[in-house]
Amino acid sequence: MDDDNKKSEDPLKINRRHFFSQLSVGIGSLALGSLLIPDLFSSKDPGLITHQLGIPQFAPKAKRIIYLFQAGAPSQLESFDYKPTLKKRMGEDLPDSIRNGQRLTGMTSGQDKFPLMPSAVNFKQYGKSGAWVSDFFPHIGKIADELCFVKSMHTEAINHDPAITFFQTGSQQSGRPSMGSWMSYGLGSENKNLPSFVVLTSRGKGNSQGLYSKLWSSGFLDSKHQGVLLRSGKDPVLYLNDPDGLSRSDKRHLLDNVSSLNKIHHVDTGDDEIESRIAQYEMAYRMQMSVPDVMDIKQEPEHIIKLYGEDCQVPGTYAANALQARRLAENGVRFIQLYHQGWDQHGGLPHEMAGQAKDVDQASAALILDLKQRGMLEDTLVVWGGEFGRTNYCQGNFDPKNYGRDHHPRAFSIWMAGGGIKPGITYGKTDEFGYNVVENPVHINDFHATLMHAMGINHEELTYKYQGRRFRLTDVAGDVVKDILT
Amino acid sequence: MDRTNSIRGLDYLIFGLTVFLIFCSIFESQLQLPNLVAWLGRWHPLVLHFPIVLLLIAIFLGLTGKNIPYVLLTAATLSALITAVTGFMLGIEASSKGDLLQWHQWLGTAVALLSVLWYWIFTSVAKRPILQKIIQVFLLITVIFAGHYGGMVTHGEDFLAIPNKKNKKIEIPENPLIYSHIVQPILDDKCVSCHNPNKKKGELLLTDFLALQEGGENGVIIDKTNLNNSELLNRLHLPLKDEDHMPPEGKPQLNEDELIIIERWVALGASDTLQLNQLSNNDILVPIINKLKNPKKKKSWADLPEVDDETIEKLNSDYINITRIASKSNALNVLVFSPPTYSDSLFMLLQPISKNTVQLDASELPLSEIAINIIAQFKNLEWLELDKTPITDVEVEKLKPLTKLEILKVYNTAITDKSIAVIENFHNLKSLFVTETKITKTRLDEFKKTNPDVVVEDGIDKEIEEFFTQKDTATVEEK
Repeated sequence: MDDDNKKSEDPLKINRRHFFSQLSVGIGSLALGSLLIPDLFSSKDPGLITHQLGIPQFAPKAKRIIYLFQAGAPSQLESFDYKPTLKKRMGEDLPDSIRNGQRLTGMTSGQDKFPLMPSAVNFKQYGKSGAWVSDFFPHIGKIADELCFVKSMHTEAINHDPAITFFQTGSQQSGRPSMGSWMSYGLGSENKNLPSFVVLTSRGKGNSQGLYSKLWSSGFLDSKHQGVLLRSGKDPVLYLNDPDGLSRSDKRHLLDNVSSLNKIHHVDTGDDEIESRIAQYEMAYRMQMSVPDVMDIKQEPEHIIKLYGEDCQVPGTYAANALQARRLAENGVRFIQLYHQGWDQHGGLPHEMAGQAKDVDQASAALILDLKQRGMLEDTLVVWGGEFGRTNYCQGNFDPKNYGRDHHPRAFSIWMAGGGIKPGITYGKTDEFGYNVVENPVHINDFHATLMHAMGINHEELTYKYQGRRFRLTDVAGDVVKDILT
Repeated sequence: MDRTNSIRGLDYLIFGLTVFLIFCSIFESQLQLPNLVAWLGRWHPLVLHFPIVLLLIAIFLGLTGKNIPYVLLTAATLSALITAVTGFMLGIEASSKGDLLQWHQWLGTAVALLSVLWYWIFTSVAKRPILQKIIQVFLLITVIFAGHYGGMVTHGEDFLAIPNKKNKKIEIPENPLIYSHIVQPILDDKCVSCHNPNKKKGELLLTDFLALQEGGENGVIIDKTNLNNSELLNRLHLPLKDEDHMPPEGKPQLNEDELIIIERWVALGASDTLQLNQLSNNDILVPIINKLKNPKKKKSWADLPEVDDETIEKLNSDYINITRIASKSNALNVLVFSPPTYSDSLFMLLQPISKNTVQLDASELPLSEIAINIIAQFKNLEWLELDKTPITDVEVEKLKPLTKLEILKVYNTAITDKSIAVIENFHNLKSLFVTETKITKTRLDEFKKTNPDVVVEDGIDKEIEEFFTQKDTATVEEK
């Protein structure tokens, strides 16, 4: 034994027998390895995707997305999910058979009663499709035949931050790339003079929750896919303008010299990040020209201003952002993300939600009409919705005129329009209490898969290898909801 | 001694089988086989490969003047006889024989008898080389044809035909008969290779409407009293692993649309007179049939000339964005953004990809004549955006050759009624965007009437627009 150990310590000191016995184990384990991992010895790197980046995998229906995100979670029961039963059974306790053990937030888990609360606002049916829309959203009602209402959305998260992170990145924990970054990564930019992923924010008077730049971060993807937040006011992009005294030709000169230095460094190190940095400088230079032009709403004619509502002339409002979104879409921005804060109505819902709805109703509907008359609904997909729904029982005091609703992940409504989505339909159904999905549930992963499908991407194939495994927006789940696609 | 004895034995075996084969050929119609013997027939597809290969080798050796080993010819002859005999047994199972099967049967018998003849001459004292050669040539021809007809019986008549999409796809008329134009082609495609007069599996023919009504050995397949419980549907819906699932595992399966078509057609009464226009508009069949009527674009794009990545990359610039519509497709999407100094020569750069460009966005550019002349050469354009450009009727007139256009955006331009006359000739047009042009309402209404399939967008509906511009959203009631 001792002798044997000594032999194995010195790798060169092995006899023939030892060599062969070791060899057989070695070859055996190689063979086993190749059986278990079929492409172990293939030359292609399995971490790389098999198709070309920057090109759809199949002919897409949508070339860009405008996502009108209603941050804070607007109540589905006061918007699009009409539940007359709640009126009939007003004040009754939520049946256990319906709640079915649903966990509650700390805000209502202490309540000893969960009285059903009907909508304080009336509903009407609109258009040929007969979609039910509440009186908070009369303009959206007018264009109901252009929309596809999905009433069976559901999520796992019950609090704002994880829920909104889930919606934007496909994971409740932060750190993954945002949906817009994935699209930019998969499809590239349409217009090299603008970022492919742009974010616009606005804030209503309702109870707000925070928004963080992690929601439009590119995570582990190349930083060029990160969402660019365009601010309202004089400088849409911070530090984009040249300082006083620096002319555009000086800037050109500077960039040329910097980039030749960078190129030398690139040859030395072979670091690809240098190349993308050079490209970013160049894009910033072109953005100095393109961004002010795109952001200049004054070019819009009177009737368009009226269509979106007078609000749209005030920078930083939702209406202004909606109009901006159309202009960005026209200029080839791939993913335009709007956030409107203030939808978190734990109390004073009828009043607060009326204000929130007033902010977004006309402008959202106007955006659809405007895109339609320009033929842009043919290839632009618009999404309107929040991060989860709200409970069908009231939070706090039972007062049908002034009540609140808590967070509800099990069922909520969103709508989509254009870009390969069937118009004038309603998909999915909740029970008569508006609490559980009873027909065609759509999980956030399914929603992501469907969006990617419309953009010509197979969500299972757009991957990025990071920290030893491949990631996708839908990670390990998600089915394309074919029924809502044209 | 042993050796000659065994050769003797082989001679007797060959002689016996030959007699049996001739007996079978003569009394075929009167034969009733016991189950076990009939089962032997199932070995026909297995053993048939031996005589083909062995005979071909022997013929090859013979014709090239080499020595043919005795064992080879014996094995070839024996296997030919066994194949022919098992073939008969298999053939007796078939209730009625089509032309193909008849031909295959007689050719197969001929192969067996010819090889016996050859064997006989080969083993006799007088070798007669000339006669042997003649037999070899005949045998070669019969083997090839017997094998070919046999292949057609199993795999369908056009199995070896060169794939030709155009011939195969029957044009679906505007108002198709659901049965003849939609359902039967599916059956032809996926079922008829086994349920035809030559190979009537399960006694079932699926070649025409009458045969469908008749059903097979298990009775009718369309149950008029309980349509949804028809055997036809049940078989299609069984799990793939199930032995009774149709088409059998390993054969091409029906896709989702095809399943829906058959199911719905049966549910609607499985009639042969039902037409598309008799269906209600929201019938599940309508969109599927419409899709069949307009086969996917991909197909037409397949004919586009090759374009390599290098060309695309070279033409791409800060203001021109060229991408493939989908990876590996030769169809291109071209976007042109207004550069600080614009000139029409920009479009000249695009000439190398003029045939590949199917989508072009030239909106908001100060286009002039040169650019339009170039665009007019993009004959495969399906999607063209010329909105917010200085074009007039003169330019639109030049676009006449773009007959493949499906989507045309010319809003915010100075075009007039004259342009409509040109646009009317775009027979593939699906959507037309003419908001804020000088086209008169009467002319546009006329166009809409004559082209009901084209979506015409000429501005937001007046009533809706008024609602948006008049009503102050502040008056939303609070309850």
